[in-house]
Amino acid sequence: MKEKLKNAVVGIAGLGGLGSNVAIALARTGVGKLIVADFDKVEASNLNRQQYFVDQIGRSKVECMIENLRRINPDVKVEGHRVKLTGENIPEIFSEAQVIAECFDKADAKQMIVETVLGKMGKAIIVSVSGLAGYGKSNAIQTRRISERLILVGDNESGIDSVKVLTAARVGIAANHQANAIVEVILNSVWKD
Amino acid sequence: MERLKVNGVEKEFSVEQFPATVAELLKCLNIEAATVVAEIDGKIIEREKFDTTALSKGQAIELVRFVPGG
Repeated sequence: MKEKLKNAVVGIAGLGGLGSNVAIALARTGVGKLIVADFDKVEASNLNRQQYFVDQIGRSKVECMIENLRRINPDVKVEGHRVKLTGENIPEIFSEAQVIAECFDKADAKQMIVETVLGKMGKAIIVSVSGLAGYGKSNAIQTRRISERLILVGDNESGIDSVKVLTAARVGIAANHQANAIVEVILNSVWKD
Repeated sequence: MERLKVNGVEKEFSVEQFPATVAELLKCLNIEAATVVAEIDGKIIEREKFDTTALSKGQAIELVRFVPGG
């Protein structure tokens, strides 16, 4: 089990509420390499659900997450990309990844990366999220395998546009569904390295 | 009647109402194309091809609709 995890490469697209939690769970689990990407800086308003600290406000999320992951598990290799991800750069940035976590906020960006990975990235699997806003209703958040290379987490309806609030616990539930699905994919896979 | 399987559920359409393309199916289900990933029989259909991808009876279509938040 350890060997399979150590040989795995996982892409994390976005380091907000989902991505910061997914990254930490996978680093603690012992995934060998994480490729993380985000263009944003840590803001005070992020700290209600994202895994950063007060003294990191104003700094790049990629830089801060690399720092935090190193403190948790220095054995994990982390490759950071401080860029805005697009349909053009995603296949290149995540080319090494066997599994990619979609950790965006906007619905059209979620659509874009899922379409890009499924359409342009060979065998890579994408684990995406739709519906995590609000609080309570823990068990409404589910993990479903939509097709061979697409796994979807969420309750499929609670958007920030309609529900208006994101809470640490419910975002964390969705993020850990994602991380758990990724671990399962890695451990059930037949990939070598 | 013509059938399509949409997200695992059989849907029936009269011959005249059968959606000709992915875009027409989305319209008929009242779903905004910008937030949808579509797969037909396990194959991804790019959003820019929703208008030009013809549907035929008996196909299995997965429509994944994204809501914002992350």
